[in-house]
Amino acid sequence: MAQKNKMEIPWVEKYRPVSLEEMALPTAKLNRQKVDLADELKNFIKSFFKEIKTINEKNKKIKAYNRTVSEKKQKEEKKLPTEKAAVLLEGQPGIGKTSIVYALANDLNMEVVETNASDTRTRDTLEAKLKETSKSRGIMDFITESKKKLILIDEVDGIYGTKDRGAVPAIMDIIKDTQFPIILCANDYKSNLSSLYNMIKRYEVHPLSNQEVVKITESIIKKEDIKNIKKEDIELIIEKNAGDLRGVINDLQAISHGAKKDDKDTQDLIYSLHRDTTEEIFGLIRDLFQKVGTLNEARSLTNKSDVDYNFLYKWVNENLPTFINQTDERAEAYENLSIADKIFGRIRNNMEWSLLPYFFDLFAGGVAIASKNKSSGFRRVSFPRYSSSASYSLNNAEKALIKKIRKQYSISQMEALRDFLPFLRILTNISRRKLKEVTDFLDLNTKEKNLLK
Amino acid sequence: MNESPIWRIKYLPKSLDEISGRENIRNRLREIIQNRNFPHLLFIGSEGIGKTTLARLFAKEFLGRYYDANFKLVHADVPLTSEERSQARSDAYVSTSKIGSMAGKRITTPAFIQVKIKPFVQLKVLGDVPFKILIVKNFDALGSNQQGFRRLMEIYGSNCRMILITTKISGIIDPIVSRCQLFLVPQVDFKSFSNLIHKIADEESLKIKDKVIEVLYKISKGKLSRAIDILQVSSSQGNTIDMNTLYENTRKFENELVRSLILLSFKGKFSKAREQARKIVSDYKFSSHELFTELLKVINKLPLSIYARIKLIDMIADADFRAIDGRDDDIQISTLLAKISKYAECM
Repeated sequence: MAQKNKMEIPWVEKYRPVSLEEMALPTAKLNRQKVDLADELKNFIKSFFKEIKTINEKNKKIKAYNRTVSEKKQKEEKKLPTEKAAVLLEGQPGIGKTSIVYALANDLNMEVVETNASDTRTRDTLEAKLKETSKSRGIMDFITESKKKLILIDEVDGIYGTKDRGAVPAIMDIIKDTQFPIILCANDYKSNLSSLYNMIKRYEVHPLSNQEVVKITESIIKKEDIKNIKKEDIELIIEKNAGDLRGVINDLQAISHGAKKDDKDTQDLIYSLHRDTTEEIFGLIRDLFQKVGTLNEARSLTNKSDVDYNFLYKWVNENLPTFINQTDERAEAYENLSIADKIFGRIRNNMEWSLLPYFFDLFAGGVAIASKNKSSGFRRVSFPRYSSSASYSLNNAEKALIKKIRKQYSISQMEALRDFLPFLRILTNISRRKLKEVTDFLDLNTKEKNLLK
Repeated sequence: MNESPIWRIKYLPKSLDEISGRENIRNRLREIIQNRNFPHLLFIGSEGIGKTTLARLFAKEFLGRYYDANFKLVHADVPLTSEERSQARSDAYVSTSKIGSMAGKRITTPAFIQVKIKPFVQLKVLGDVPFKILIVKNFDALGSNQQGFRRLMEIYGSNCRMILITTKISGIIDPIVSRCQLFLVPQVDFKSFSNLIHKIADEESLKIKDKVIEVLYKISKGKLSRAIDILQVSSSQGNTIDMNTLYENTRKFENELVRSLILLSFKGKFSKAREQARKIVSDYKFSSHELFTELLKVINKLPLSIYARIKLIDMIADADFRAIDGRDDDIQISTLLAKISKYAECM
């Protein structure tokens, strides 16, 4: 093949556009209005540097003035409005959000400082990486006219959990006194980021149209000189990836290596490359319960899949009763799953990752082997919709009801839930009249009334 | 205001005199009211016997017409809302513009105390009373924050006296116990209990015999609110309350859901049982440990052979033990249910 003697770099990098001109620009919307993303971003960066210059000059004067007067009379230093300091690009993976930033930086001769989900983003690490960049220019800047910087915070919505604690406020602080323009990228709207969203402009970036994707794919096929791929296969790849150009290019590369003459193999390969994880889990769960008969088979099944085991064992829990009906087999399977869970808890609590093989064998193999008579035929696989940790918090109707109870009768939330509410249910079930008396007394609406049933 | 249709609210005592029994403690409290002074108090007693009512009514009589301005009741076991938490965060920094050694530094007061207790105890007394009164319910739930609370008792003690309420004294650190006057609140005695029930029966025109009251006293285990609840539910079947109606209605108060959960798994209806368990956990906000203790209670009441019972208790204990280590409570609960159905099949 053509690229054999070349260094193998991922095609995604190889074909990453170097300037906005040659790039297929995704459409974007700001407040539901269609906008030209390239123009908007260019203007954003130009206006940023213009405004930061005037503000810095003003601040210089204020600082000089502050040095001459007492502390009380000091003026505050001016800051750039956050809206002009940063923008957010939001859209599904692989449609060119990161590419557009790099292409833009290249066009404007800027250097990109990037942080993404692969870095841990605690407050400290973020500040170490970005704050110095964002606040000041390096020493070299005085000697030579160095490149201006563009800060890219990728996968903002990947910030969650205890690992990245304090990262969102840290980003907000960085936006407030940055010396360089910041572009944030995200896949989804996340409610825990709303305080961040309020500070800045949010562009919704839409996937490329299929025609555009076809055009790009064809040009790559031409350049790479791929011959063993049919037009239907290309269409299949594009359809499977639904606008995700990066996925299309990755699939193309994989196929150029792996495809054989046989059409069916190519198609199978495309299906196997298909990155829809839910579909994958569905298949995996079915295979685990209906096909796997030995520990080794279970092992190879879990090794092959790249589904996160954090999820996978919850899927096993949710679907176990659907596939294993016999009482003693079910008890045995659950026994293994429960030990797996116990081990997993120890792994997570004490960081004993060396125990992980036991966990895998027990939750997959241990469960699969427990059933001797495999169920056959189609069984519905369901989502693990139940999360035991979420059940401890009250929903809004419950909160409102307890608030109303506490207006009339001073008890704590827990007492209300466990002692008073069950009694109210008994009392109101006696007769309609009682129900009405109680609802009138507590002044309940229909939603809250339903909680009494 | 309209009369409450819920008896336990309707017959809530409105003054110290209306509280049934516990003459000793009431006399001690009355003495305090006359002397116009008292140290911090600590009320200890089992669940639901009226510690809070006692403390609240005491505060009401002590503060008289300045009650509303100088009284606050805090539940230590209620978690902060997100607004309260963010307020605590913003309060935690002393502005640089302030004068003093704390300027620009971070205050390390626990968020709960910062938000719920400090604003109240810091404010001055309003009106003609010697100090304010703060009641902290379920004080043991403060846990490690008790040290922070101890400081508060020292600093603001002259401004605000605290009444701490708890069910278990072992949950409270020694320095706090030593700063308080202890009140061991006992259960209501049978005589006062029977007087109260007779009073309610007169008011609601019920007929109830002394023998039945005796049983009610035993069933309710000193919890007046529970006794009144049972009475009210029983009264819906007629004005005469005899043993039968009493037992029949008491059964309603036993946790039917947990009972049916066990029966479902005995019958081998696993999927239904799991749905039921999930419903219980989300309705009552049980942790897995609490659900297991409920199951244990039910197991002890079921007519089982001693071997079967011990076997079941062993299973529950094992599940509880695993849930401590494990990550997913639902798995441990499901496992227990699956094991119970297997065992029931063998029986």
